[in-house]
Amino acid sequence: MNPPRFEYYAPTGIEEIVGLLKKYGDDAKILAGGQSLLPLLKSRVVTIPCLISLSEVRGLSYIDERKDGVHVGAMTVDSDLEFSDIIKKHFPLILDCASQVADPLVRNTGTIGGNISHADPSNDFPSVMLAIGAKFVVQGESGTREISAEDFFVDTFETSMKHDEVLKEIILPYWGSNSYGAYGKFKKGTWNFSVAGVAVQLSMESGKINKAGIAITSMGPKAIKCTEAEKYLAGKKPDDSVLKHAAELIVGASQPSEDQYGSEKYKKEILRRLSIKTMGKAIKMDGGN
Amino acid sequence: MDLSEKFVKGNGTFVDDIHMPGMLYLGFVRSPYPRAKIKKISGGITHKDVNFDIAAVGEGSEEEQTFSSTAHPVLAKDFVGYVGQPVAAVYSTDPYEAEDLIDSVEVDYEPLPGISDPEKAIDFEPINPASKSNVIVDRYFGKEFPDNVGDVVIEGRFVNNRIATNPIEPRGIVTAYDGDKLTIWIGTQSIYSIKSGICEAMHLPAEKVRVIQTDTGGAFGLKGGLFPEYVVAAWLAMKEKRPVKWIETRREHLMASRPGRGAIAKLKLYADRSGKIKGLKGEVLVDNGAFTGGSGEFSPAFIAMQLAGAYHLENAYVRARSVLTNKAPQGPYRGAGRPEAMFFIEKMMDHLADKLKMDPVDLRLKNAAEERYRSPLGFEVEPSKKFLEAAIKETGYRELSKKYNTGFSFLILYHATSGGESARIQVKDGRLKVWIGGNAHGQRHDVFSKTLINEELGVDESLVDFQLGDTDQIPAGIGAWGSRSAMVAGSAVLMAARMLREKVEKKYGKYSLNHLLGEEWDAYHNFEYSKMESSLGVNVVTADVDDLGKVKIRDCISYYDAGRVLDPANAAGQIAGGSVQGISQALYEELAFDEDGQPLTSSISDAGVATADLLPKFTIKYYKSESTLPSKAKGIGEAPTIGVPIALSRALEKAMGREFNETPIRPELLLRETAVQ
Repeated sequence: MNPPRFEYYAPTGIEEIVGLLKKYGDDAKILAGGQSLLPLLKSRVVTIPCLISLSEVRGLSYIDERKDGVHVGAMTVDSDLEFSDIIKKHFPLILDCASQVADPLVRNTGTIGGNISHADPSNDFPSVMLAIGAKFVVQGESGTREISAEDFFVDTFETSMKHDEVLKEIILPYWGSNSYGAYGKFKKGTWNFSVAGVAVQLSMESGKINKAGIAITSMGPKAIKCTEAEKYLAGKKPDDSVLKHAAELIVGASQPSEDQYGSEKYKKEILRRLSIKTMGKAIKMDGGN
Repeated sequence: MDLSEKFVKGNGTFVDDIHMPGMLYLGFVRSPYPRAKIKKISGGITHKDVNFDIAAVGEGSEEEQTFSSTAHPVLAKDFVGYVGQPVAAVYSTDPYEAEDLIDSVEVDYEPLPGISDPEKAIDFEPINPASKSNVIVDRYFGKEFPDNVGDVVIEGRFVNNRIATNPIEPRGIVTAYDGDKLTIWIGTQSIYSIKSGICEAMHLPAEKVRVIQTDTGGAFGLKGGLFPEYVVAAWLAMKEKRPVKWIETRREHLMASRPGRGAIAKLKLYADRSGKIKGLKGEVLVDNGAFTGGSGEFSPAFIAMQLAGAYHLENAYVRARSVLTNKAPQGPYRGAGRPEAMFFIEKMMDHLADKLKMDPVDLRLKNAAEERYRSPLGFEVEPSKKFLEAAIKETGYRELSKKYNTGFSFLILYHATSGGESARIQVKDGRLKVWIGGNAHGQRHDVFSKTLINEELGVDESLVDFQLGDTDQIPAGIGAWGSRSAMVAGSAVLMAARMLREKVEKKYGKYSLNHLLGEEWDAYHNFEYSKMESSLGVNVVTADVDDLGKVKIRDCISYYDAGRVLDPANAAGQIAGGSVQGISQALYEELAFDEDGQPLTSSISDAGVATADLLPKFTIKYYKSESTLPSKAKGIGEAPTIGVPIALSRALEKAMGREFNETPIRPELLLRETAVQ
């Protein structure tokens, strides 16, 4: 399990990183926490001639409450999110998800920026970002720009970032004080990856759903936002039949494929049941309204 | 330092921790095809350099047959039979570069259709050009009997799919040659099978090879025998006169080591209306893989001969076959034929009980052997009724089964005691050095050795240094497998200690600790034993399944006849660890392949090794007894991998109201029709 030869850079400034990305083109790849990339390198599934590490860039690990939302630095590790009071206060969905990512060892090293940029349809954070409606601040040659989560995930391992852009920050817009969320994950056997995952973000008003954000993991070539279910839930009182119907809409958005962990039909059934459970869990947090 | 402290603190010396000046690192070019002709190989070490085969060695070799035409070539000759088969080797002074060099060898393959399903392989064209048929073993056990022996018949097809052995430490070897003698450092269950394997494969005289065991990070059957990579490492060290290292990657392990299980049975069980079993008929099929030299030659017979379980069975007729498939050769995995046989018979007992509307435990009581007898299939069955009665009581089965989905398995564990074992004790400078023939790989044979020496000689345990295996220090021995070590190695240690006592007595008239420790002594004992012993066990598992199909195990109870429990802490460790593997086999573990034999399992998680968060609390109890061996112990190492999958599978049958005849149980089958919200 030795990787092929690669060059390694660890500059201190993002500008230098952008410069290196430009110079090396497709030969270069950003290294964040390395929890996905290093196993791929070591098992020689991929060859990356030039690795550019973000580890020496200062100030990329933070969780701040700002006016327009919670800002999270791209190098913030999963376990920091798992134990953050700010996250707990505003986004229980992220807390719920962070505590289910892989195992504690991975969470201590794996970063939210890496989890998102890797764009693995089985990674847990992409669907969470879609459910919340996060915005990603990316820096390139001509400065920074914002990409919405919806526009960010393009395909398996593919995002709308240009090759010489780096994900720098995640902005999580506030959902208001009556907002709740939960992440449901059904693991594949002993894997930390899932057969199905569902991210549910809700804001409630007088016992009714004001606004819903729903997206799914491991259910297609990329994390999928379930727009139909979100629209349907808005303004509804979440009784059993409403959740059942919403779950059907979530399943309708899924595109699972058959493998040794189960048929499409099975995976859809798991997603349906998991969705009802997870929506129920988020709604229960609304102080019994 | 205590061994557990040593390992937990990272102070073990495993084979990959050995570094020598001038060391060469080996890498292997492996077949990407399940089956292909090799037209040309450009570069690397090939079969033209290392033209040897791997002969059959290891457990079961008493009945050794010759399978020379299907022997595993060290490096592939004109065809490959499985993905991962070593085709060529490369080396470098840099381990990274050695892996880079793998890509520099060009192999021109002509892919051929492969076959992975053992049942279909029976009639598939021969995958080995030297064989007329893919069926390499076809034997019958017992004798034909009329179908009207019983009033009811239970019929089923039962499957234990292949699973990787997956010890934490994969395979590895270091070799060195001084111009006269080849020295091998290796994590192993038997330095002797490595030594004889190398000598046999490379035609070397025994005195020219020394094998030294390093700390061994688990084995589960994997490290009992010789592998092709070891021969190449030995050959290269001799050719270059430089030390050579090869360490298996996890991917190589999943592709190209010898996985266990891989057995299918189609059986009929006949009984009368009262539940008395009258006969067993059918067939067992072992998925051998592409070459012999693993355990596929022996396991069909070994499985068939145990199929009476712990019951009295009058009539039996079983066909046992092994078939070539385009996969790595099958190998022994914790239990090695025992879990398969008990799974098959116990499943039928449960289903017969269902058919007769009896409690499965009452059916077992009705059929337990009251006296020792030889089953028509070959093995001796010990009296089992008294044990079973005690087990039902001690496990609390009757109460548990009223409240929970409860599975009960009754097993007979045949210990690989035949062949005996050796031990040596050397006294020097007031301390004792101890070697035993079988090589521990996590079971803590040091602890029982020290206990037995202390009891026999009164030597404080802190004065005893337990040694790893070394063929120069203890020239003969067998190995650690088949639940044998506490029995035969323990007895060998005890007998060697008695020899020391006698030596002291002879010289001084009576034994004293001062006389022993004040001088230099040496005792080697070869404890000869030709009989296969057995012991009984019961597992009770209670479990439930949630509305997503997730299994929650409530109880996992083991009740075993372990004879004298020499080392309660490590016996508990063995049972808990084996139970984990049993749970893993029932629920998660499988090496999956596509139809041609292309592996679908690519990581240790994918292979289904359970993590701690998935595990229940284990309850361990023992039946009080003593074996007739000097150590008074009975083996337990394989009992949980035999009993737990059966009991868990049964608990889930109760939970889901359907039969589960295969391991692992497909998650899809654990989803109830009606969703609970």
